[in-house]
Amino acid sequence: MLRLATHLRVIFALVLREARVRHGRARIGYTWAIIEPVLMISILTFLFKQVGTGGANGRDFALFFATGVLSFQLYRNTSSYVSMSFDQNRPLFNYPMVKPLDTALARFVLDGSTHAAVITLVLCFQVFALGAPSPNNIPLMFLALLLLLLMAFGAGTSLAVVRRFMPSISNVYMVIMGPAFFVSCVFFSISTVPTLYRDILVWNPLVHGVEGFRTGYYHGYQDADVNLFYLFTWVVGLNFFGLVGEWLTRFRSV
Amino acid sequence: MADTFSERMIDLNNVSKTYQLRTGRKVILNGATISLPWRNTAVLGRNGAGKSTLLRLIAGIEEPNSGTTTRHKTISWPIGFRGSFHRELSGIENVRFVARIYGQNTEELIDKVESFAELGQFFYEPFKTYSSGMGARLAFGLSMAISFEVFLIDEVMAVGDEKFQRKSKSAFQERLPTSKVIMVSHSMPTLREYCQSGLVVHDGQLTYYEDLEEAIARYRKLNA
Repeated sequence: MLRLATHLRVIFALVLREARVRHGRARIGYTWAIIEPVLMISILTFLFKQVGTGGANGRDFALFFATGVLSFQLYRNTSSYVSMSFDQNRPLFNYPMVKPLDTALARFVLDGSTHAAVITLVLCFQVFALGAPSPNNIPLMFLALLLLLLMAFGAGTSLAVVRRFMPSISNVYMVIMGPAFFVSCVFFSISTVPTLYRDILVWNPLVHGVEGFRTGYYHGYQDADVNLFYLFTWVVGLNFFGLVGEWLTRFRSV
Repeated sequence: MADTFSERMIDLNNVSKTYQLRTGRKVILNGATISLPWRNTAVLGRNGAGKSTLLRLIAGIEEPNSGTTTRHKTISWPIGFRGSFHRELSGIENVRFVARIYGQNTEELIDKVESFAELGQFFYEPFKTYSSGMGARLAFGLSMAISFEVFLIDEVMAVGDEKFQRKSKSAFQERLPTSKVIMVSHSMPTLREYCQSGLVVHDGQLTYYEDLEEAIARYRKLNA
């Protein structure tokens, strides 16, 4: 009980500390968290308007890309942020109550709440200012985002553990996450993909998170290929690897 | 050999600690078992014997590969340590973080450190603007401001200019009735000044001597 209280105290202190230093204290600071997705959504909307069509299936372009970009970024940003938490907080392990997993959890809490705020702001703006349709099933959207966020934590801790032995794993991850943007249904819908490619794409767990989020947002969205349970198995697998791996390699923590 | 009537400070039970080096494993401790009484203790050993690692095991910063450590007293981080201060955060923000993780009254601790470290307006400036002496004063002030029952000292004791050194020393003397030290140093006069007992680290084993002079004699023999 006392130990749990200590962990919560440490995580709380770390969240406040990380929040202060996250953006290098640039003047622009947290506004960057909202500028980045808005810029990406605007560029995608502009590009696809020029082409005239796209995978958006005649839906409101901006809203469609927003649902894709926001959910995808939640995963990508949080996973890479968490993956660096052991390394970037290494000096803090000189305080015995600060454990590596506390730093990962603090980043998870900070990035999760930052993205939640950004997602809420951007979607509200689209609904109230741009007249986009309002969301259909908010609990389902929440569930999809939660699973993406938990998978980001699992992937982040797994990477952090592998980094103890092989720091270059981060480069490998970056190489994977670049193309991931194009195969995670960020700017198209899984139902518009030809069957041959669809059977390959559905192996990508992010497809189910992003499309699961849309299934919640849009009324009557084509969800035949969306399987949140499949995403859940990834959540369990990655978190298991990350947490057990951290425990087994804790001697290498400093 | 340990003094069984005084309070316990820390117990090491069958503790092993090794490091993987490029050329093989380096054994620091090999099944060491010891129960240290709460006394001022000097840690002696040849270079590379594992004195600093032992301090880190005692502090709980590092986990042993096998065996357990049990702390009966609140133990500081190696004092003067300042690697944890974030460059972009001010002195006050760095102090606030440590106050929070140690569950201390934040405002009280800030007041203590501010008046002790004498940083003036720099207390509110980012740590990266500090001179190395100022950084050392902040670190020392912070260590002294928390009432640890055991202070860990690794080599460095004196920081800052002469005036600050005198101040540090008297602050430290004030602590000594209620706190003890575990000290690593190669300076026998310093060890004699603060410690009554000794702990010799050699060949993966720990030997405790109630009398510091016996420990020093053993250490001299190892160096001969």
